[in-house]
Amino acid sequence: MSSEIKIIEEFSGETVSVAISGEIDIYTAPTLKEKLYALADNKKDMLIDCNDLGYIDSTGLGIFVGALKKTKLHGKSIKLVNLKDNIRKLFIITGLDKLFLID
Amino acid sequence: MDVLKDKIELILPAKAEYVSVARLAVSGIASRMGMDIETIEDIKVAVSEVCSRLVDETIGTVPDYKAVFEVCPQSLSITIFSDNKKAEHVFGDVEDELVIPIIEALMDHTELTPSNGAIITMTKAIEGIRRDGE
Repeated sequence: MSSEIKIIEEFSGETVSVAISGEIDIYTAPTLKEKLYALADNKKDMLIDCNDLGYIDSTGLGIFVGALKKTKLHGKSIKLVNLKDNIRKLFIITGLDKLFLID
Repeated sequence: MDVLKDKIELILPAKAEYVSVARLAVSGIASRMGMDIETIEDIKVAVSEVCSRLVDETIGTVPDYKAVFEVCPQSLSITIFSDNKKAEHVFGDVEDELVIPIIEALMDHTELTPSNGAIITMTKAIEGIRRDGE
């Protein structure tokens, strides 16, 4: 099945870098949610690299929003980098591009 | 109304692991029609959003659901059926309320609970067809 996800995190000072590869849909979302929420509780800024993220839908967007709420509770932020055009488009459609730092 | 050229039906178990199969199927059909990558991505997300709602345990379990793909010269229409469920049941209590706005933004025409007993019919028009037939 092509619908797989891999999440690799790396801690460096006040930032945790998270590289997500694969597809985020309703099947892979629970894995992402568990990992991302746990990382958000580390009270560090989060840098999410989406270079190898091929697909996301509202299930995944909801998890990003949940993680952002958690990081903001600790006064931290989430920055998304290397978004593919189709994924960036979804952030714009939903207005989430105004909530997240996107590079 | 566009002229129907080909009709493809896909019945999937209402399980999360098969939503990607719906995406693969519509991706293949849209690609066969000559649609460009961006258009195909739009359609994949729209189809996946509906399927995700149907496999979501919080809206009740159904054994399976059916996606009907209608290939026309000027458009691709996708209609989703599930055990006489109506759109308001499937989308009515979506917490984040992102689903319908996403579908409507990505597709050219969306009809909730159309008269044929389906949940939704979504249509993407020919703009995304590659003109040079490459």
